[in-house]
Amino acid sequence: MTDEVVPDVAIRTVALSDVRTKGPKRRLKFKDTWWRHAIGIVGIVVSLFPVVYVISSAFNRDNTLQGASLIPVHVTTKNFTSLLQNHVADQSGGYSDAPYLSWVFNSMIVAGVTAILTTMLGALAAYAFSRFRFKGRRLGMMTLLLIQMFPQFAAVAAIYLLVYNLGNIYSILGLNSVLAVIVVYLGGSMGVQAWLMKGFFDTIPTELDESARVDGATPAQIFWGVVLPLAAPVLVVVGLISFVFTLNEFVIASALLQTNKHFTLPVGLYGFINQNYGQHWGPFAAGSLMAMIPVTALFLFLQRWIVSGLTAGSVKG
Amino acid sequence: MIKIALLALTNAVAIWAGVVLVDRSRWIPLAILAAATVAIDFIYLVPRSWAVPAKFLVPGTIFLLAFQMVPIIYTIEVALSNYSTGHIATKADAIRQIKLNSLQAPANGKQYEMAPARNASGDLVLILHEGASGKVFVGTRKGLTLLSPSDVKVDASGIPLSAKGYKLITGAGLFSLDKELRGFDVPTQGDAAIQPQGVRQAVELQPTLRYDAAKNQFVRITDGLVFKDSGKGAFAAANNAKNELEPGWKSFVGLGNFNKLATNPLYRDPFLRVFVWTVVYATFTVFFSFAVGLFVAIALDKKGLRGQKLYRSVLVIPYAMPGFLSLLVWAGLLNDDFGVVNKLLHLHVPWLFDPNWARVSVIMVSVWLTTPYFFLVSMGALQSIPAELTEAAKVDGGGGWAIFRRVTLPLLLVAVAPLMIASFAFNFNNFNNIYLLTGGGPYSGTSSVAGSTDILISYTYKLAIASGKGSDYGLASTVGIVIFFIVASISGFSFYRSKSLENMR
Repeated sequence: MTDEVVPDVAIRTVALSDVRTKGPKRRLKFKDTWWRHAIGIVGIVVSLFPVVYVISSAFNRDNTLQGASLIPVHVTTKNFTSLLQNHVADQSGGYSDAPYLSWVFNSMIVAGVTAILTTMLGALAAYAFSRFRFKGRRLGMMTLLLIQMFPQFAAVAAIYLLVYNLGNIYSILGLNSVLAVIVVYLGGSMGVQAWLMKGFFDTIPTELDESARVDGATPAQIFWGVVLPLAAPVLVVVGLISFVFTLNEFVIASALLQTNKHFTLPVGLYGFINQNYGQHWGPFAAGSLMAMIPVTALFLFLQRWIVSGLTAGSVKG
Repeated sequence: MIKIALLALTNAVAIWAGVVLVDRSRWIPLAILAAATVAIDFIYLVPRSWAVPAKFLVPGTIFLLAFQMVPIIYTIEVALSNYSTGHIATKADAIRQIKLNSLQAPANGKQYEMAPARNASGDLVLILHEGASGKVFVGTRKGLTLLSPSDVKVDASGIPLSAKGYKLITGAGLFSLDKELRGFDVPTQGDAAIQPQGVRQAVELQPTLRYDAAKNQFVRITDGLVFKDSGKGAFAAANNAKNELEPGWKSFVGLGNFNKLATNPLYRDPFLRVFVWTVVYATFTVFFSFAVGLFVAIALDKKGLRGQKLYRSVLVIPYAMPGFLSLLVWAGLLNDDFGVVNKLLHLHVPWLFDPNWARVSVIMVSVWLTTPYFFLVSMGALQSIPAELTEAAKVDGGGGWAIFRRVTLPLLLVAVAPLMIASFAFNFNNFNNIYLLTGGGPYSGTSSVAGSTDILISYTYKLAIASGKGSDYGLASTVGIVIFFIVASISGFSFYRSKSLENMR
């Protein structure tokens, strides 16, 4: 849903540096390479600067932006505890309503369920297009491509009105419902990711299907028993890309979710910090850090596979 | 087995949904629902060879139709209408609302002492004591009913104390009733109505406009001024088309919204400004990200360079982090009062509060976010260029720069160009980068909802939902369609150029 353009549907695995040929290591003279290191170090400083700053702010006692510094002056975990207990002080002496844990929970549900179902629905469609030859197949694929070119969030007004009206009939699918957000996201499940999977399925030899069929397997059994297990790597990639996309999605989530405790993490944190950079900086940094670490670690861990998926067509923001 | 269970579940949900629709008498959706359910059951239960691929395609297609196709069609429909704040309801609702709005207390209108109460089923009613006649009524949203004098007690100042069969609301309950009372009218004869004034008083209001259904117009009772249906979803005064009755209703305006964007300076100028900035923003972001990413990749692409792996893993961190968090953090770092960027560099640059600086900041942060992607891609592409080619060029006497320009770059672009197009299309609609950083602002004092850094998608979003100036769904959808055509042409172009259609084997 958040992935827009497919410049190239085929999996063209852009060779990544990991496939570099391993030759005997030659010692390079520092005289010739110092400028490479200089660029690398500048790059590291620029890349890490915000991260270091967030870490320092999260542990800094002074939770305002003015008081923030690169090295925390008085180390404390107060920012974490106040945020986790929804007990963040307000400038007026009261407490801001910041149900951080609800936001995290909502985001996990939305991104998790969307990722799993998107992968599943996409895989089913990809299998049909990869393995069956039926009337209207080409037309179907072309139509799909065309429809998916419409960025779903460009229809945000229509989606908002649709869900609003749907909620008048089925309150469970109305505004403020996490379920409504999920089903809207699933509208994009036949998008780029399905094409990625189709490309992968095409590379699985059909002889495997054939022999299974000879053994009396139904198409469904072949799909679940033969093709899916072989496609496990691509399923993981697609699921993860979809998870990260959904986690970052702001337009539709903020249009459909309207009260604080129903927000996803981006919508909630945005409302929490926007206009309040002065007061909420410390707890915000703590909250960002807690969310940042697992997602970043996961991404780095699976980097190689994710990037090969991304270079094959989808773009992450 | 799982198939049967899922199918049963689908049918159960469909039946529940159907029951709700029957309850609401929504027959057309019910028919669609029933047809869809029967079709699904047929596909999964009847063994036909053509149904086999359908079995795999149906689940995704259902969501595709419901939440991709329907919004697209609805977007087109809304774009052709004047759907907006003040033009939400149907005409019949608008007429009813205009009648209600026209109610005013006449000079010698009837006055009531009032006590809010609940009836047996808990609904709000008003116990009304008409001082002049001494009669006591119960008023509901449906109308007025006379109560028998023996059933009610009234205190010295005329306020009802009790009424048989009703539970009067007293004390603290009254304070929380404020909102409920404000929207409460009791219709009486003609189009008149009794409305509460505070919690103890009510007055009968008389309409100041009369609706003439046959002529499809309103007439102002005092001076006979006629308000005619303007054909644009409102009743407008016969002598002044600008003088419209509130509210209007949703009506078909054809290409009116497109026309407005193309010709009306109030809408055309902000739209063009936003459009140009969108293109500039996406172009600069992609260009600089690619340039910086490639530069760093060339620097680090050296066999045996120490710490190469470390450089690479750290440099992709901006890309690995959840984008929304980086953006919110950057918004804090660039804060001009106490942001750390100004503090560290001893500057006082209004990074996000001056239109031009805000544009620069938005591009800078976007480049920060996007560069690692192009760094990775360029690194991979560089390594896939055979060393023989560059060596052959060297043998032919080419210098370093010439080799890069004539050999490396063209080969690199073959692999990277489609990704640049994709990145352009993505950044063209990169809502988060704009909205989370500047909110589209700062605003330069114009009346438009478009700020200095708004791109088309954030402009649409604000028009539809978050402008604080009311919603214009019609115009928002129109801009959405424009976005679609632009993105579709970019995608179409890159499809045409790439060989992806071959994948349709």
